[in-house]
Amino acid sequence: MNDKFTPNIIGFLCNWCSYTGADLAGTSRMKIPPSLKTIRVMCSGRIDPLFVLESFIKGADGVMMMGCHPGDCHYQKGNYNARRRYVMLNSIFDTLGLEKKRIGLWWVSASEATRFAKVTNEYTKEIEKLGPNPTSKEIFL
Amino acid sequence: MSNNQKETKNYPNKGKSLPVEKSIKDTVFNIFKKALEENIFDALLIPAKVPDTDAYSWILLQDESLFDIADPLPPVMTVQGGRALSSFSKNGELGLKIAALLRPCEARAVIELFKLHQVDLDNMTLITIDCPGAMPLADYMNDPKKIADSFKKISEKWEISESLRPACQNCHRFSLMDGTGPDLHIGLLGENNKVTLIANSPEGNDLLEKLGFESKDSLDKWKTEKEKLVKEKTKKRESFLKEWQEKTKNPDGFFNELNKCINCHNCMNACPICYCQQCYFDSQMINFKPEIYLKKSREKGALRFPLNTMLFHIGRMSHMVLSCVACGACEDACPVSIPVGRLFSMVGDKTQKQFDYVPGLNREDPLPLQIFKEDEFCEVETPNECEEKATEEVK
Amino acid sequence: MAKAIKIKKNVEEGLFDFLKSLLEKEKINGVFTLKKMDDNGAISYSLITSPDEFKDAVPLYPFMPVNAGKALSSFTLLGKTEEPIAAVLRPCELRAFVELVKRAQGDLENFLIISPTCGGVLSLNLMGDKNQEKIVSQYWTSVQKAEISPDTRETCQFCENFLPINADITVAALGNKDLDKEFILFLNSPKGEEFAKHAEGSAVSEEIETKEINEFRKKREELREKFFKETGKEGEGLKSLINIFAPCLGCHGCSHVCPICYCVLCDFDAKTHEYHSASLSLDLKNKGGLKVPTGNLLFHLGRMTHMAVSCVNCGMCSDVCPVNIPVATVFSKVGSSLQKVFNYFPGKDIEEPAPQGTYKEEEFKTIGEQ
Ligand code: SF4
Ligand code: SF4
Ligand code: SF4
Ligand code: SF4
Ligand code: SF4
Ligand code: FES
Repeated sequence: MNDKFTPNIIGFLCNWCSYTGADLAGTSRMKIPPSLKTIRVMCSGRIDPLFVLESFIKGADGVMMMGCHPGDCHYQKGNYNARRRYVMLNSIFDTLGLEKKRIGLWWVSASEATRFAKVTNEYTKEIEKLGPNPTSKEIFL
Repeated sequence: MSNNQKETKNYPNKGKSLPVEKSIKDTVFNIFKKALEENIFDALLIPAKVPDTDAYSWILLQDESLFDIADPLPPVMTVQGGRALSSFSKNGELGLKIAALLRPCEARAVIELFKLHQVDLDNMTLITIDCPGAMPLADYMNDPKKIADSFKKISEKWEISESLRPACQNCHRFSLMDGTGPDLHIGLLGENNKVTLIANSPEGNDLLEKLGFESKDSLDKWKTEKEKLVKEKTKKRESFLKEWQEKTKNPDGFFNELNKCINCHNCMNACPICYCQQCYFDSQMINFKPEIYLKKSREKGALRFPLNTMLFHIGRMSHMVLSCVACGACEDACPVSIPVGRLFSMVGDKTQKQFDYVPGLNREDPLPLQIFKEDEFCEVETPNECEEKATEEVK
Repeated sequence: MAKAIKIKKNVEEGLFDFLKSLLEKEKINGVFTLKKMDDNGAISYSLITSPDEFKDAVPLYPFMPVNAGKALSSFTLLGKTEEPIAAVLRPCELRAFVELVKRAQGDLENFLIISPTCGGVLSLNLMGDKNQEKIVSQYWTSVQKAEISPDTRETCQFCENFLPINADITVAALGNKDLDKEFILFLNSPKGEEFAKHAEGSAVSEEIETKEINEFRKKREELREKFFKETGKEGEGLKSLINIFAPCLGCHGCSHVCPICYCVLCDFDAKTHEYHSASLSLDLKNKGGLKVPTGNLLFHLGRMTHMAVSCVNCGMCSDVCPVNIPVATVFSKVGSSLQKVFNYFPGKDIEEPAPQGTYKEEEFKTIGEQ
């Protein structure tokens, strides 16, 4: 295949910060990579680690968890829980030798449209370098 | 899910014989390849060896390159085929035409699951194959190469070997039965170097027609060989039943077999018939306060843990044994080598005979506990009156 | 200096007599311990309330037919026991019980907890083996010499936490050369001291950490490194994981016997994780084939996110696996990484919340800010 690899990236965005930030980036006509498919959750604390795992196993090339900066969560502490869950997933991936770059966590506030555009673009580049997730073609999962 | 009523009851007199050139596997695969190429079905459910390992698992095969790892008769039964088929079809609306190549006991489980609304047979072609048995899973996992080799020898000779799984040694339903089970059967017995395709339903007929095969060849040789082996294995089964009925004549004999049970429920989870999402015996229905357990313990001096181990087995039997297809999946999954498959198959045999029911034989036979006749089982209810009635009838 | 008494009897016999006398004198109303089920080697946990039934008790028999922590949780799930009960369990079983109590799945109150310095347990597939007695006696020889018995579970062979935590009484067995003549009970709590008055022992001053124990720990640490290196090889990631779990039947026996997996209906047995036939066409189009039942890897990785941080390394899951997958070694390896990251010791402190249920504002500060 000569086609340029366009990754499939799933983003779980918290409603109050990251999703609003993404919205602002859109209305400000910033360039957001087409590879990103967003799923809105009320709070990053709603991101069940299984959402991330399932995306990974079903072939997503990258998974972004996004929420409000620590201290800014609209439900006070959801993002602290999210952070622990990410740390856990990261450690599991690390221990088992899975590609841990395929999952990540970023804090993006409602006003940080530029940051949203920056991190999504950077992450897309990183995943492009990494290539397709082998799970997308794997039969025996 | 609609009710797939089938008309055929007696299996046909003619079939299609195909010469074996390279190997049986090759001949069988060529048929499937053709069917896939001509879109007669879209995918095939078949066992395959996981690359770079000794493990087998089920795959839905669409890409022909996967035939390289597929195996119609692997040395072990990993997941019971009924379970595999139900796992992707129970929610219906497959949108694809699928053929499933199963061992006969697996296909019988599928028929039972069909009656329990746990599979969708609307777009499904069930294909069975004469089955030489399978090896115990634990033996295979301990020494895959050796066990695979001996399986090869055993299956070539259709030997009722002691190294086969006990369920397979005692299995007399290893081939096509006279009922509305599978759509197509692949006969391996009979003539050497021939594979015989036998249509067992209008769908099966259709499939052969589409493949361009005419069912014109005589089945006599296959039938003779098959009946011979059925007879031999029926005898084997009867002696097994006798031996185990003797062993478990009193309840203690039965319960002693379960002394090692660690109540892990592997048997239930491997059983194709036990489909419940939440097993009653895993539920909160059977939790009590500590004082109740202490009371129970005082009644006998001691109370076994895990709790409810015996209740689990007896209860599970009452839930499913009428549909037990004697596949032995439970016994394969037991980590402490309890002959749980033999126990269930023995009880199943007796209970099924009482209801004159053969699980998996006919799609249209209702499950015995879903129907009743008003005048049945009077011998159980009121034995005395029953005798009187019987004598009157004779007069 | 730890409080301790020496009993001049064979360790198995001495513990048996002690428990029996507690039961006879009605100091306790029941003993939760291992019991012989028949003459064919079947062993099972039992709550024994009558001194007559106690004759078949084998408190230190090296089998773990079920993790006793799980069994005690099923006993006290709906409330604490009002009557005093002695329970003999191994260190990892005790840690499991503590984890369960922490999760409101049981109650430690009114238990007298007795636990041995542990040489491990035999693999369950040896239960009922024709050489069972011989294997068990070889096991005791290795306990005596503080050597690693090759017949014990893989997880036992690399278990570093073989000294009980939270036990009222510790039975010192490991590395005791005179095991068949005398042994020591360490009394770790006032409750332990109180009950030990009924044992025929004399006060001694000893330390639980001996030279033998230390050397034993070192041997196990070495094995731990070896086993971890062999499992789930770094870098090979996905492929290695697929190969390890390739024979998996999806029987979920591993989660069923896991003491930390206490859910009545496991998430992975629930409707949520059923395969949707609607996605079949797409999956086949993308991959050309599909293993069924699906969801194998999601189950194992998902289960890890649910419980591995609390894994007590008891090895039940490996022993129950019908296809010899080293489940426990994989989970233990992941568990020990997670425990390091969250600085958590499962089963140590009942007051310490499990890592998933808590957080600190000050931790992992750089994460998310890149
Ligand atoms: S009880 Fe055992 S032998 Fe019977 S159908 Fe279930 S798994 Fe097969
Ligand atoms: S698989 Fe074996 S040990 Fe487990 S519950 Fe069934 S009979 Fe008991
Ligand atoms: S894991 Fe450790 S504490 Fe548990 S039985 Fe084995 S050696 Fe003993
Ligand atoms: S895997 Fe998760 S949901 Fe399943 S029993 Fe364990 S903790 Fe519960
Ligand atoms: S016990 Fe073994 S076969 Fe069963 S689900 Fe666990 S890993 Fe798979
Ligand atoms: S609301 Fe944004 S992380 Fe909780």
